[in-house]
Amino acid sequence: MSISEETRIAAHSPAAQSELPPALEASGISKAFRTKRSSLQVLDNVSLTVQKGEFVSIVGPSGSGKSTLFHIIGGLVKPDTGTVHMNGTEVTGQQGHISYMPQQPALFPWRTIEDNVLLSQEVQGTVDKETREKARYWLDKVGLGGFEKAHPHTLSGGMQQRAAFLRALLSPQELMCLDEPFSALDALTRSDMQRWLLDIWEESRRSVLFITHNIEEALLLSSRIYVFSGRPASVLQTVDVPFPRPRREEIIEHPDFIKLRRELSGWMREEQRKMHLQS
Amino acid sequence: MRRWWSHVWPPFVAVLFFLTVWQLCTSLFHIEQWILPSPADIAKQTADGAGDLWGHVWATVRLTLEGFIIGTVVGLIIALILHMIPFLKSALYPLLILSQNIPTIALAPLLMIWFGFGLLPKLIVITLVCFFPVAVATMGGLKQTDRMMLNYMRMIGASKQQIFTKLELPHALPSIFSGIKIAATYSVMGAVIAEWIGADKGIGYYMMLQKAGYRTDRMFVAIMIIVVLSLLMFGLIALLEKWLVRWKPKQEG
Repeated sequence: MSISEETRIAAHSPAAQSELPPALEASGISKAFRTKRSSLQVLDNVSLTVQKGEFVSIVGPSGSGKSTLFHIIGGLVKPDTGTVHMNGTEVTGQQGHISYMPQQPALFPWRTIEDNVLLSQEVQGTVDKETREKARYWLDKVGLGGFEKAHPHTLSGGMQQRAAFLRALLSPQELMCLDEPFSALDALTRSDMQRWLLDIWEESRRSVLFITHNIEEALLLSSRIYVFSGRPASVLQTVDVPFPRPRREEIIEHPDFIKLRRELSGWMREEQRKMHLQS
Repeated sequence: MRRWWSHVWPPFVAVLFFLTVWQLCTSLFHIEQWILPSPADIAKQTADGAGDLWGHVWATVRLTLEGFIIGTVVGLIIALILHMIPFLKSALYPLLILSQNIPTIALAPLLMIWFGFGLLPKLIVITLVCFFPVAVATMGGLKQTDRMMLNYMRMIGASKQQIFTKLELPHALPSIFSGIKIAATYSVMGAVIAEWIGADKGIGYYMMLQKAGYRTDRMFVAIMIIVVLSLLMFGLIALLEKWLVRWKPKQEG
């Protein structure tokens, strides 16, 4: 590790920034979806925090309302109770404060890759020559150099996913919300993308909230993991991941890693079983 | 080029076969020319009468294009207004469908009575035939916007106008074009019907004249011209679509 890398990481460590308000603070969020006949409680008093420059994951059984939480943070859905604060100001129910990467790439097929990647900045009205150059730099960096003028359907699934990630990365908003971005990929591409995301994040150090149901992925990438229960989702456990940064993929073979993974898997299995019993 | 040919030859052979059967039938069964002329007769008539026909063809082309453009624009405007105001949509949609149940052929004489024999009633006839497919296809296309992309746009804070111009409209473009293609072929039919009712030139007027004289061969010439015009209109729009929607993945087969 070079010295410059070390100093940069020190500057980004949570301790150095603890006086700053967190990038995201969701407190006491509850949500039920009501129809005429019944009411389905989806989120039950969920609170979580993402500090500036922190990578935080949410793991939980599928169908536990994790995406609903994202919709609340993104302002698409109003919570029944609870508030969302970003950088110290309340933004509950307001849109446009996060950069977002959905489960499917959702690239716009009529836009070139470069224009897709710049979409969020275009919406915010911040596209100029500099941002275009920055976009080209990153496209090159993520292995999409030469595809700037290509349309999405000519790219493979993994490449589309990388473009969708870049679109989120280049958004002017501080907090990136990634909603199971790799769930649609095959296992091999998936582990490639995990390694890739780790490298990119180590370089960019954005504040990230990451939804997954893959425990290994969460352990490899995050500083903190919130384990969600089955429906209605509440925070079951908060796990601080102790491995130092910058991380390399090899840590997945470390005994501590394996121990943590086993522990988390146990909780998850239990929750999944409870959900099956309910239904 | 070879690929292109492999697509073209089956329909080409089919048409050739059909024309041959037709030709053989008319000569084998000695069908009178005023009942069903043979393809050869029609071809000869086309060659002989080509000079007189140009004026009529040109009049119909102009009327078709004017009516088609007005009809398409009206259809688009109606679709946009109804898309933006859902209440108006639920109120007016049944009326739109009703407007298509009134036979054009019954409406046209009424329009002549109300608006005289000028250009206006003819344009109204073509507009009435053209606006509907455009409006319905456009509304359908705007409604089917991809949920994921829509959620994405909302999450990143796009305004209603940005969502419309950056997502809904380009997303609806292929459906809009399928509506416009139907309107393009209908517009020729609308123009001919308008000319039947009251005109002093045009293919429709020419047909009426020839019908009165039992010149079946010339009526077939007129029909052929109408078919060619419809195909040309369709081809023109298809080309425009290909150019505007060139991002769309090519469909196999």
